[in-house]
Amino acid sequence: MNAADFYSLAPLLILAGGATILMLQIAFRRDIKLTSALTVATLVAAAFSIIGADDNVPRFVTPLLRADHLALVFSGLFCLAAAVTSILSIDYLRQRGDEPEEFFLLLILSTLGACVLAYAAHLASLLLGLELMSISLYALIAYPDKTKLPLEAAIKYLVLSGAATATMLFGFALLYGTTGTMQFAAMGDQLVDAHAGSAVLLVAAVMVVSGLGFKLSLVPFHMWTPDVYDGAPAPVTGFLASVSKAAVFVALLRWFLASDLFRFDILIDSISLLAIFSMLAGNILALLQSNIKRMLAYSSIAHMGYLVIILVVGSNMDNRALAIEAGMYYLIAYTVTTIAAFGLLTLLSSEGHHRENVQLHDVSGLFWHQPLYASLMMVALLSLAGIPLTAGFIAKFYLISAAVSDFRWVLLGSLVVGSGIGIYYYLRVIFYMTRKVEEHNNNPVAPGGWLVKAVSCALIASILLLGTVPQPLMEYLRSILQVVN
Amino acid sequence: MMETLFYLAAVIALSATILALTRANAAHALIYLILSLLAVAVLFFLMGAPFAAALEILIYAGAIMVLFVFVIMMLNLGKSGEELERSGLHARNWIIPGIMATLLFVELMYAVEQTSSLTSGTAVSPKEVGLELFGPYVLAVELASMLLLAGLVGAYHLGRRFIVRSGSDD
Repeated sequence: MNAADFYSLAPLLILAGGATILMLQIAFRRDIKLTSALTVATLVAAAFSIIGADDNVPRFVTPLLRADHLALVFSGLFCLAAAVTSILSIDYLRQRGDEPEEFFLLLILSTLGACVLAYAAHLASLLLGLELMSISLYALIAYPDKTKLPLEAAIKYLVLSGAATATMLFGFALLYGTTGTMQFAAMGDQLVDAHAGSAVLLVAAVMVVSGLGFKLSLVPFHMWTPDVYDGAPAPVTGFLASVSKAAVFVALLRWFLASDLFRFDILIDSISLLAIFSMLAGNILALLQSNIKRMLAYSSIAHMGYLVIILVVGSNMDNRALAIEAGMYYLIAYTVTTIAAFGLLTLLSSEGHHRENVQLHDVSGLFWHQPLYASLMMVALLSLAGIPLTAGFIAKFYLISAAVSDFRWVLLGSLVVGSGIGIYYYLRVIFYMTRKVEEHNNNPVAPGGWLVKAVSCALIASILLLGTVPQPLMEYLRSILQVVN
Repeated sequence: MMETLFYLAAVIALSATILALTRANAAHALIYLILSLLAVAVLFFLMGAPFAAALEILIYAGAIMVLFVFVIMMLNLGKSGEELERSGLHARNWIIPGIMATLLFVELMYAVEQTSSLTSGTAVSPKEVGLELFGPYVLAVELASMLLLAGLVGAYHLGRRFIVRSGSDD
């Protein structure tokens, strides 16, 4: 490895170094202020290191990692999302758990895993990134260990996610057995050679798709999602819903692009089936929830359903560039929006004792006494629903135009029906928030210093900016895609 | 001949795993699990991966299983534990695992004695594994170390409440 290799891996190196420093700092002196400041500094430094790394890509760094613009953009996004999560969770953690410092260490390690997934060019790095992210998440979910709900959620996630990883690993073994390579770039052509009537490959594909489908919580692999989201502490849920999903999807996208998996019709057909189920089931189940976290869990299932459409649309060579561009835009918009929505739930629960304030009536009348945080939630929900002027609208518009240009009417129909149902349950939360003050009895007081307020404003601004001035980001994504392809 | 050995070890691995799953007694299940891991190690050896075979025995059948045994022993304190230990000495409880382990041992001895004990492919020596791991795959080693750090910190945090601190109790 030479200097350029190291530069191109800058985000990973900074995160790993930051984790080591943080570990030593916690060992010498427990101080949540110092730890959280170090964490945010590490994450922001890692996010901005992508600017310096920009000149040294694209390149393969060992067979495991491929450093290109796609990897850098998403590493930066994940680091910023983690930084926002850690800023918003400081007050939450002060209320719960007597040793809150390791939370930040685990958060950095989980982000490192997510960034490795963004760089993955090899089955081994895919697996290692996935496991690094998930193992940190198991501990993060169970972090406030005074109540039973987080522990239950963590055990469920541990067992099911472990089973999913084992299934996927078996699939990898079969893939390696038939193709003789674990590198994405070399695997595609080998797969075509071995394709003719190979039952082994079919089994391998089923295993890998179900493993990754579990991680993306696509229907029918979604059963864990509401329980885990509900039980996990609110900041972790936000991280789990945004960064971990986006990272897995980026890795999947890289695999599809590098091996050109778009040419296997059975794979594409089964993915479109998963997409339709996820879009419809996710939205319909979300209708029935009165717990906002569970509602967002089901809505995230639906959003993953929308997102995998782009893998189907990408199977047509003419529309591939548009589809990938739409997918990347959607991922960015979805990550920002989800972090914002769960950010509000974190703030609401920061003053609570052990119970989290995540029922619909907990946000009742919020708009009248906490206008800033209520606006944050409102903008996030409008964006998830896909209302114009927000990031979600442009993202969905992008997705629909990609689906239309490829004549995928069934997928498009499910998307439209799903979004229509979605508007009802998103707007219901907003309706509760704008109720008159007299109508609600409890008074959740969200705390927060200037930093939390600044982060909330930044989140609102970025959602609105992505929704009103999308051109710069679109242009940038288009320019890096040409390099990636 | 080597093929026969391979299938014999595979049958032992499968049947030991099934027995491990169906035993009601945790200690008995554990014995079968260890056997299953030993059989897998023999399979690795016969397929030309002596290093993986050694690791399988050292780490899985050795270190991890010893931890399991410790946990089960600590859970089975008192009268019932004593009865359990006594029942473990009955011939019907150890005769099948004993036969399986002896078979595996004889197989391994035979395979080691042969000049070429491969069923397929080429043998990969520990040196080659090391060169690969610390050559092209060095980042995987680093990532795995971060993975272990995450596991360690998580386990520390979650297990912390069971640690009795000196000073806090008295």
